[in-house]
Amino acid sequence: MNTAATTTADWRTRSANQTRLAFGQALLELAVREPRTVVLSADTQDLLGIRPYIERHRDRFVEVGIAEQNAIGIAAGLATTGMRPYVCGYAPFITARSMEQVRNDVAYANQRVVIGAAASGITLGVAGGTHHAIEDLALMRSLPNMTVIVPADVDETYQATLATLEIDGPVYMRLGGRAEEPAVSDPGVPFRLGKAVQLRPGNDVAIIACGSLVEMAVRASDALQKEGIKARVINMHTIKPLDRDAILTAAAETRGIVTAEEHHLTGGLGGAVAELLSVEHPTRMRMVGMPDVFAMVGPTGQIRAKYGMSAEAIAEACRSLR
Amino acid sequence: MTETRDVLLTRLKGEARQIRRNVWRALRGSGSGHAGGSCSAADLLAGLYFHRMQIRPKEPDWPERDRFVLSKGHANAALGAVLAQAGYIEDEVLDRFYGFESPFGMHPDIKVAGVEMCTGALGHGLAVGVGMALGARMQKLDFHTFVMLGDGELHEGSNWEAAMAGSHYKLSNLTAIVDRNHISQSGRVADIIDIEPLADKWRAFGWEVHEFDGHDMEQIVDIFDALPLHGERPTALIAQTVKGKGVSFAEDTYVWHSNNVNDDVYARALAELGEA
Repeated sequence: MNTAATTTADWRTRSANQTRLAFGQALLELAVREPRTVVLSADTQDLLGIRPYIERHRDRFVEVGIAEQNAIGIAAGLATTGMRPYVCGYAPFITARSMEQVRNDVAYANQRVVIGAAASGITLGVAGGTHHAIEDLALMRSLPNMTVIVPADVDETYQATLATLEIDGPVYMRLGGRAEEPAVSDPGVPFRLGKAVQLRPGNDVAIIACGSLVEMAVRASDALQKEGIKARVINMHTIKPLDRDAILTAAAETRGIVTAEEHHLTGGLGGAVAELLSVEHPTRMRMVGMPDVFAMVGPTGQIRAKYGMSAEAIAEACRSLR
Repeated sequence: MTETRDVLLTRLKGEARQIRRNVWRALRGSGSGHAGGSCSAADLLAGLYFHRMQIRPKEPDWPERDRFVLSKGHANAALGAVLAQAGYIEDEVLDRFYGFESPFGMHPDIKVAGVEMCTGALGHGLAVGVGMALGARMQKLDFHTFVMLGDGELHEGSNWEAAMAGSHYKLSNLTAIVDRNHISQSGRVADIIDIEPLADKWRAFGWEVHEFDGHDMEQIVDIFDALPLHGERPTALIAQTVKGKGVSFAEDTYVWHSNNVNDDVYARALAELGEA
């Protein structure tokens, strides 16, 4: 096994356009930059692509088995001794099942624990409702001290994971599933925590999206362009702390805001934007995301389309704000 | 100058009595609180903080300090008493224990010097202790981690996840102390959900187990001095205790798991505990 740090070409190839794997690749680089890095797995070694990390850094790896509460508690204990734990888990289980450990041991105690949560949203569509994570952002966003990041593609995931080195507190990083996630961010633009990235200009409406919906938002904007509607696209990769300036500016400069996320309409990105605007700059809004139901079983793409998480649905929401 | 065993035992018994006096004092200042589980743990805490643990109260972040996690966080009055007696916090804090902006609430907060984790929601401390013990090993530090658990707390399944991990990783630098006072909030643990055979459970989970009288200071000192009991296993100490120990009306009753403490109650408690 080559023990040198991975090259850019290496990690991109191994990430296979999947954010969950880009997180695992970034851990290899983190381990070089920060010797106190320690990775924990809840029987999720392949899910987050951490076998290369384990091979190189077995002495800084803890497998806890199928025990998410234990993973978070152990991570918090490690953090108190000065280690920098990265917990790898399934988004639905590492949040909801271990919520009290995340709340008390990590957020309340304000420990530097980073949670990498793969298979978020409805990426495990065929697995059914038990395996969908459509409330994780609401749970994590409600915790004081917690930083919440939703990268849109592998480049952003890699950069954001490295950026956690500078975050003095807990972090929740929402990652995708086993399908390819199209590149949408500019690798040349450095990731800045809490600073949204504008991907398309436009002063008619503004689409504020995160994660898998960012690429759809770009496609929606491009389609609307042909109709003469200029839709600004904002990639809100950090849900907390929220980029207030980008949102308030968009509200002031456009006729309305469309939010888009693979999450319940309650408590996620749309909720966060609405909370800000309703107080500071009441604005016409449309929200794209999961309605207040548990999703049906099915392939992820079809479920997304069924519940209105598509470029077409985003475009239609924009048109309704004319 | 080496302390003789008699002097040591006398000193520790004095600290334990002072812990109990301070528990009732803190609860009077607060008006209520968890006297029962605080007093059952008092002798064990005295043995830990004033004999066994390597600590520097004026340097609470010393990396090589032994760690103590009060997983049964409702016994916080006892922890507060210990931290005050050891010099981590000012003694006067005990008189405004649960007051507005007090550093101490009814449960431990890591922001207080000497407190290693926010606890009180039960079933959290042992996993945190496993993490501390792993952190010691990874950083080649030889501190020992102690986690005090309530017996009713063992109803929480998360304890057993942590117990499995502790033996899997052969954490001989980790000791769980079960304050086996047999009573939880609603009644006797055996009547609510029985946890026996408790020693067998810990053994089955791969821990080295020792049972002893958690109020006999000689036994406490002997077992703490003998740690770790096994070179490749964590230790589970099952300390048989009496809830509310030291004050007759509070002993062995769920009523004093948590109850109001007025001036009259305080005076009667202190009269039984005797002078510091």
